[in-house]
Amino acid sequence: MPHATRPSTNESAFVLSALRENLRLDSRALDQYRPISLKFSSDPDVYGQTDVRMGKTRVICNVSCEVITPYSDRKFDGVFNINCELSPLIGAGVEIGRPDQAELLLSRLLEKSIRRSNALDTESLCIIAGQKCFHVRADLHVLDHDGSILDACCLALVAALQHFRRPDYEVHGEQVTVFDVREREPVKLTLQHQPFCVTTSYYDAGTIMVQDATLLEEQCREGEIVVSMNRHGEVCQIAKYGGVPVDALSVLSVVKQSWEKVKMMDSVVREALSKDERERDKGGRMKAELSAENERVMERPVG
Amino acid sequence: MRYDRDIKNAKAIDRSSSRKTRSIPDITSRNPSPPQLHPHNTPSMEATMVLLPGENVPTDHLPKPKKGKLTLGPGLQHTPPSTISATTAGSLQVDHRKAALWLEHAGGRYQPSVGDLVIAQVHHSSVDTFSCALTPHTSFAILGQLAFEGVSKKTRPQLKAGDVVYARVSKASKWEDVEIECFNSATGKAEGMGQLKGGMVFDVRPAFARRLMMGTDKEGVSKGGVVVLEEVGGKVKFEVAVGRNGKVWVDSGSVRETVMIGQLLRGADEGGWDVEGQRKAVKKALRDV
Repeated sequence: MPHATRPSTNESAFVLSALRENLRLDSRALDQYRPISLKFSSDPDVYGQTDVRMGKTRVICNVSCEVITPYSDRKFDGVFNINCELSPLIGAGVEIGRPDQAELLLSRLLEKSIRRSNALDTESLCIIAGQKCFHVRADLHVLDHDGSILDACCLALVAALQHFRRPDYEVHGEQVTVFDVREREPVKLTLQHQPFCVTTSYYDAGTIMVQDATLLEEQCREGEIVVSMNRHGEVCQIAKYGGVPVDALSVLSVVKQSWEKVKMMDSVVREALSKDERERDKGGRMKAELSAENERVMERPVG
Repeated sequence: MRYDRDIKNAKAIDRSSSRKTRSIPDITSRNPSPPQLHPHNTPSMEATMVLLPGENVPTDHLPKPKKGKLTLGPGLQHTPPSTISATTAGSLQVDHRKAALWLEHAGGRYQPSVGDLVIAQVHHSSVDTFSCALTPHTSFAILGQLAFEGVSKKTRPQLKAGDVVYARVSKASKWEDVEIECFNSATGKAEGMGQLKGGMVFDVRPAFARRLMMGTDKEGVSKGGVVVLEEVGGKVKFEVAVGRNGKVWVDSGSVRETVMIGQLLRGADEGGWDVEGQRKAVKKALRDV
């Protein structure tokens, strides 16, 4: 059984000649993303499930958590894991358990962008140092692959982390009570920043730069540069694994272009999150009644 | 009544004139074969019935055969003495005139059958055959190196990995490799088959490719309900070859026109446009080019 199907010479030659004339097969601009659709779970009790579509690419992310004992060398930190496995759902050439290079790069880039950049503050997941902490795990499933799965995965993951609520708890000395979601309203995670990944594919020795490539464009490209950054312009990582050499000035312009795209993705996520919050919180009464936060009243000091 | 199973007749017998250069297009086949009607274009019939695999066709839907023979098309199976059951999911189509029944299904997978015209991609060549892929991630189809017009043992066709050919399926069975050929073995002529150079190959659903290949009936109305290529061909010059395995090869003068045709095909396929919608979309696209 053949594994990867390469496009025919006619197709790759045509894609290249179209790009040289600034044309893409779906009439997008070279740096234009496909319309991104971001949906959360419609169940009002479920937080942290996202479904992202970029054209035909579809990724779902599920964030969940449980209480465990922290690692002995990291007593003050909780645990955060990202699982991203590609399955034969996206194509018959993919096997579970036998990751090929593309899958390894996908998990490694997600780790670098989100975990190593400390997007999720693990210290906030600690309950009692050395004894109890939260273990947050994010599972990503790619359902359809039409290019840009890294961008879609990162977006789904960041949106899910922002949407997710962990159970509330109280500590009295050595006693911890973790409240059920029905007893106390769950609490959002503390995210220090929201990184997004932008993949730029290049052709013709780096002279043509294309963003959000479809699967056919990805198969015809000479290489890719992945930039992860947040909306403030802080770069988390830049990755270029092999491919045709590109000069440094082009890499700088790619980083600049990626910043614009990151701002766009960030606004998509924010809009979807606020829309979802409005729908779940009709009338605004739930938040006020069920929240355990005190309203801090500023009192004048006496005396 | 005697039931006669006649599966292969339901698809093409001779549609080799599908590929031509055109300024005013003419995709009609010379010998349209039975059942060519499509739900989008049939004159008003009773409400189409949808069958699931394993369901039997109710006897009131069976047409009355004149000579006592009923023809079964793809998707139906005869269990003697008088049960006809569906093997795939689809809508039941009946042709009373020819006493034929078949199932129309918008399946995503192409299964090779003898006589189909397909667009195959060469994967590698061995001693005297080329191994070609008709659909991704399936076993290869074998194309003999001598199955071309005008070749001999000394002059073989120069096909490399990644080249695209227009061929006809000559042998297709579940237990053997599929075999394809690039010429009509009866007459020895290429009849439009062979290597396709340049242009672009677009992916469509196999059911849509079938509708594209249906041609037109006596009044000139497209039987499959797809008029996109004819409408565009009125203004733009291009060559097209339709493969029953869900691939359409288009070569036009400029890259922009080819991209436009590809987008129209995708829209008609995935958007499910009807004839009017297709005409409107073509007019709009031609204005922009």
